[in-house]
Amino acid sequence: MIVCAALVVPPTSDVYVPQELAYKPVGLDYGNGTAYAGLQMLEGAVPREAIVTKAAVTHPGERFAGLMRGEFAATVLQEPWITVAEKAGCRLISTTFFHGTWVAGPDLEPKLYAAFLRGVTHAVRRINADKRPYVRYFKEGWAAVDPDVQALTPDDFNLGRIVLREPTPIPEDEARWAWEWMASWGVLQGRFDAATQINRKVEREAHELAAATLVS
Amino acid sequence: MAAMTMTIEPVSAFSSLDVLVAMDEGLFAAEGLDLRMASREARDIRSTTEGTLTSPVTNQGRLQERGEATMFQG
Repeated sequence: MIVCAALVVPPTSDVYVPQELAYKPVGLDYGNGTAYAGLQMLEGAVPREAIVTKAAVTHPGERFAGLMRGEFAATVLQEPWITVAEKAGCRLISTTFFHGTWVAGPDLEPKLYAAFLRGVTHAVRRINADKRPYVRYFKEGWAAVDPDVQALTPDDFNLGRIVLREPTPIPEDEARWAWEWMASWGVLQGRFDAATQINRKVEREAHELAAATLVS
Repeated sequence: MAAMTMTIEPVSAFSSLDVLVAMDEGLFAAEGLDLRMASREARDIRSTTEGTLTSPVTNQGRLQERGEATMFQG
């Protein structure tokens, strides 16, 4: 699945474009994809030295609450809290999309992964055929006890932010770019080694097995 | 009956709507896969506020490290 991340400011903010977040604290849940998406959105707008981040919790509902309490000038949210924030009058000043990538140990069997890929592919096709009924899933899990999320109706969701794509092998260029970018921030050390990071044998066998039995 | 079993770490709709739907609608089972979702215990949960940008704290991958899940979403 493709994850949508939005850089959000509160209703009273004087920030209208990402450049105006220079030297202002942005709450990020370090170590998660949304945090890196936030950094990338900021880095596209201001010099790196003007980026100021502040540790924020993983739970996006709690990050949203922190934003509304004024703990930081902006934060990065994902659905359903992007929709909640918009309903509360917050502004999205940037959005981006990134892959949710699966990580496995070296003992993953190709036939097991192939069955997983086939199940996901069927689900992607089913959801993409009619997304609206499936937005109810965004009200479950962490969101199940959040009254702001529970107040949302299916029509509140922007379906353009719910993006699903059939699984593909990991593009090596993209993996290397991501590694090198993270290393430039000091999050990773060393040089990217595709053979260490991606088990191409398992990946290839699984995708071939999955494709052989999938009806397009 | 599913012939293969695999356990994954917990996921949310924003990143894994496809997996949740496939589980609920029997799409993994139809492929011979009994996909299960592990639960995190209190010891597995640390706040990202304990980490820093260059030394983050994440809960992802802990169950996989202990052999209690085969895959997690990074």
